[in-house]
Amino acid sequence: MITRRYLVVRTTYAIVTAFIAITINFLLPRLIPGNPADVILFANYHYIPPGKAKLLEAQFGLTTNNLGIEFYDYLKQLFLHFNLGLSFSYYPATVAQLIESHLPWTLYLLGVSILLSSVLGVIVGRWIGWRAGSRSESVTSSIFIGLTSLPYFWLAIIFILLFAFMIPIFPLAGSFAITVTPGLTISFISSVITHSLLPIITLVITTFPAFALTMRNTMVNQNKEDYLMMARARGLPRHVIEKKYAARNAILPVTTHIVLAFGYIVAGAFFVEVVFSYQGIGYLLYKAVTSYDYPLVDGIFLMITITVIIANFLADMLYAILDPRVELR
Amino acid sequence: MIGNYNPENVKAAAKELAPAKENLLLQIWRNRKARIGLIIFGFFIILGALGHFYTPYPATYDNFRPWLAPSIKHWFGTDYDGHDVFSQFMYGTGVSLYVGAAVAFIAVTLGTVVGLISGYYGGLVDNFLMRFVDILLILPTFPLLVILSTYFKPTITSTIIVIGILSWPFMSRVIRSQILTVRQRPFVQAAILAGLPGYKIMFKEIFKFTLPLIIINAVYIFVGAIVAQAGLAFFGLGDLASVNWGTMLYYAQSEDAVIYFAWWWIVPPGVAIALLGVAANIFGNGITEVFGERAGEI
Repeated sequence: MITRRYLVVRTTYAIVTAFIAITINFLLPRLIPGNPADVILFANYHYIPPGKAKLLEAQFGLTTNNLGIEFYDYLKQLFLHFNLGLSFSYYPATVAQLIESHLPWTLYLLGVSILLSSVLGVIVGRWIGWRAGSRSESVTSSIFIGLTSLPYFWLAIIFILLFAFMIPIFPLAGSFAITVTPGLTISFISSVITHSLLPIITLVITTFPAFALTMRNTMVNQNKEDYLMMARARGLPRHVIEKKYAARNAILPVTTHIVLAFGYIVAGAFFVEVVFSYQGIGYLLYKAVTSYDYPLVDGIFLMITITVIIANFLADMLYAILDPRVELR
Repeated sequence: MIGNYNPENVKAAAKELAPAKENLLLQIWRNRKARIGLIIFGFFIILGALGHFYTPYPATYDNFRPWLAPSIKHWFGTDYDGHDVFSQFMYGTGVSLYVGAAVAFIAVTLGTVVGLISGYYGGLVDNFLMRFVDILLILPTFPLLVILSTYFKPTITSTIIVIGILSWPFMSRVIRSQILTVRQRPFVQAAILAGLPGYKIMFKEIFKFTLPLIIINAVYIFVGAIVAQAGLAFFGLGDLASVNWGTMLYYAQSEDAVIYFAWWWIVPPGVAIALLGVAANIFGNGITEVFGERAGEI
């Protein structure tokens, strides 16, 4: 149950954290030694064209030397106009436009992956949790621990090596074949799907064991509870106790993990999209970082932080609703 | 966090930890899981230390024929530029482990001190520190690492500092809740009544109860830092002149090792990272059992 105090405290956290993230975002370009405009121009052109420096300073909001006024302007632009500035490398596109056009790809790729891996994780975790202590369970758990320890980007390269080069069943990279034109045609949609298969498979393989292990641990803890002994004493069939009793309660903490995982969609997109050159937010961030496109880097980081904060907030709320025993610390 | 490390289990074990009856190290060694973990760690530590002083060929020597497959002469073959991959791997092991150890040192120190102070003093101090920790915990670490590396030209040292500063919050929280329970025990209350100064109580009376938590967290942070550094380096966001597991994978990716089917260049760093991750998990489980036994002995 969500009490008023719980709601107020959690909301305050979320707002304070968001504010800190925004402040970091505002301060970072100003922390670079020297004038950021000069630094950027120098990195791009290796000298400083005089007209350009003024222009950049204006775009950065570096018009005054008063940090307070600059911060006020920054906040005003952000909240009133959702203005995150102009991108350097995709000039004249704005940061907001770029995020908007790349976001759907990320939401599709990571959304599908997390959905699949959480469902798979819960089912497999229930199975091994119910058989905890057996030979098959300990082997499976060990394999899962190994899988969670694999660096994602490494597994992705190995999979590309195996399934796109050696046995070319999947396309190498990209979000769709360059030969098809985007649109609601069958050839475009099937191209999108085939291009997303290998990234999704690698993501699911590296992420579902974590869900499964959480589910396993909570299942094991449920086993000690009295109500399960009661259910056994009543002579209920084992599979009914497993599915309708133990799993129902064990799924609570896993639910929070899943909600959090959805919040980390954008944050987690980095590895998969870079390795597969998939045109989502993660790939955009990579491009921005490698081309010193500071406004774009800042804008994407801000968006990532805000989604994570919102997911944390929602997970806290959901947990309180699902499990009435949760009390505010 | 990697794997299924559950702070609750360790806390339960640490709760009843009493002065040692048997040599702790010996007891850890007798536990099979802890031993396997230690052997894997030991293997890499020896390999890395050795690689610092000796490699079959100099790690930067690049006049072999490129893209040679593994052979007696080149155990892990050669790379695009004619480096001996095994020599690079040996040398890189030392660098990667050094990053992990240095980060673990920074993070464990910060985490323990903040946890101790927060748990021992409670009240306003605790409130302030833990709200700060809450905020740090929410900030997404890897993207933050990525943008910090764009603003500050990364060196191995700067990478260590940044990862170290971002790695302690979770640990401080675990330590704090442990202190909260220990603080209520009679001998601590007695020490307070006897007028012992706070820092003495913290470090002489309470500190040892956090030892299991510190060991386990140190191991996880150690491996986590190696993975984070490798991740950053892989995307070209580290010190690319340094030879380590991350930069090996970076060059393998950027020089199209996949096209040349140079699996011998790609496989070793990834398998090494995975092995360390597995070792951390097994060792963590083993340590939990050991401290559980010790609690039971009393």
